[in-house]
Amino acid sequence: MATATFDGFKVDEFDRAPDMNLPQKLGTRLWLPMWIMALMGFGVGFLLAIVRADAIATGSAETTIASLGHVQAGFMFIGFASVFAAISLAIARILGAFRTGGSSVQEVTGNRVQVLAMPRMAKAFIVGMMMAMMLIVIAVIIHFVVGASVASGATSVADGNQAFEILDGVRRLGVGIYLFSIALGLGTIITVLKFQASKIRSLARNV
Amino acid sequence: MAATIRSLTRPAHGADNRPHTKHRTLGLALGLVGVVLVLIALVGNISAANATNEASAAQTLAWTFGLTVLGFGTVKFGIAVILVGILVRLWLRVDSVEASLPALRAASDGNQLTAGQSISTAFGPAVISTGQPKPLTIHRMAGTMWAPMLAMGAMALVAGFVLSLVWSAQVGNDESAVAASAWTQGLQFLGEGFLLSGISFLLGSILASLREGGASVQESVGIVVQTLKMPGTAKIFVVLMMTGLMVSITQFVLYLVVAAGVDNPGAWFAWLGPFRELGLGLLLSGIVMALVTIGNVLGFQFHRIREICAVGR
Repeated sequence: MATATFDGFKVDEFDRAPDMNLPQKLGTRLWLPMWIMALMGFGVGFLLAIVRADAIATGSAETTIASLGHVQAGFMFIGFASVFAAISLAIARILGAFRTGGSSVQEVTGNRVQVLAMPRMAKAFIVGMMMAMMLIVIAVIIHFVVGASVASGATSVADGNQAFEILDGVRRLGVGIYLFSIALGLGTIITVLKFQASKIRSLARNV
Repeated sequence: MAATIRSLTRPAHGADNRPHTKHRTLGLALGLVGVVLVLIALVGNISAANATNEASAAQTLAWTFGLTVLGFGTVKFGIAVILVGILVRLWLRVDSVEASLPALRAASDGNQLTAGQSISTAFGPAVISTGQPKPLTIHRMAGTMWAPMLAMGAMALVAGFVLSLVWSAQVGNDESAVAASAWTQGLQFLGEGFLLSGISFLLGSILASLREGGASVQESVGIVVQTLKMPGTAKIFVVLMMTGLMVSITQFVLYLVVAAGVDNPGAWFAWLGPFRELGLGLLLSGIVMALVTIGNVLGFQFHRIREICAVGR
């Protein structure tokens, strides 16, 4: 593989059409398990919410209600973390389709294959996605730990509520960063489309 | 109206591909603003958690809720702007392929398929036609509905944020605080639902442009047009999107019921919050399916271009 510049784009050159890169392969394999996990997370989270609402309506112990609140939020946000991961992986899969498809067209026309080098925006997309995933997963784990601690009486309901307010903000920040990373992933698609439109015109000129 | 909306996503035929379009810059700027709003809300949440005065903490939590959801909405609006940019670029790519393909096309091996025939491809079943296939109803709907959905979503979010300030000011006055809280939550999550529906319609428009553009490219070189039949993932996308939108509307109505006065509003809030999140979860799950479908359709399009370049049909 060699690097070159084409029409202002930094490109990698190959003799044959390359395969997807690692994030794109992961996208192809992992979007479905993540999507299924998301649906399960939303389902369990909503069921727990009904149980908690019933506990409030029937005047159950405050510790039970507070503990259920933590566990319910934890499951719901397993759902959100998974669905955002599935969206990010599906975007990576689209970028993979552009990479393999575009390079195979160049190969079949008898040209040396030029593939857009991974743009900085795509790298930021991956880093942002991982940061957001970590923020949400850490918040979810703490929710489960605090929920168990409140249920056992080791943590007071007031302290549990205080932890909930902070974790709520952390989870939301995770969602915000996830959404911004998705915007970066989609922005990368614009770069790829522009590169491919220029590339196919140059293939025709070289015939 | 429909023509104006269409002009936002479709550049003039033969437009220059090289200049930068502003969609990505604008979309990412909106995204950054949204993340900053969420960050400010996080600081507010931390200060509320450490506040000694319960009423002051409740006031802070009310406006941080409104600000957070407004922040999410701002990032989503940014995503929508970038999707519009993708649509514009897709049409410029169609122009480039149409201009280049006659030179790249191999001499036909004469083995033509006949119109009306169904074939099986590695990307799913496809149909053969001599010209452009009819646009699907869902594609026509997507092309006109994305803009009103985004506009309604943005308005609901901003109105909800203003209501969160009212909610914050009403803390301590039980009945009005409950009503303001219910209005804020219901309206803002209705807005979120509309925004995600707008994004879903934009993804539907991308699928429509891939279908129409792909057919147009094949037609331009004088060969039969192969079009993928609607894949299962696209059908799941439509079902999830519609269900998610219905849940978002239902939660708004139920919050209005709470605002009008119910016994034990705490129990209602306990399940309505996760219910509205379930609605957004369904919309997001539908978006996953739309993106997966776009990946498949792109794979099919590259397969067709390769076929035209290799065997001329």
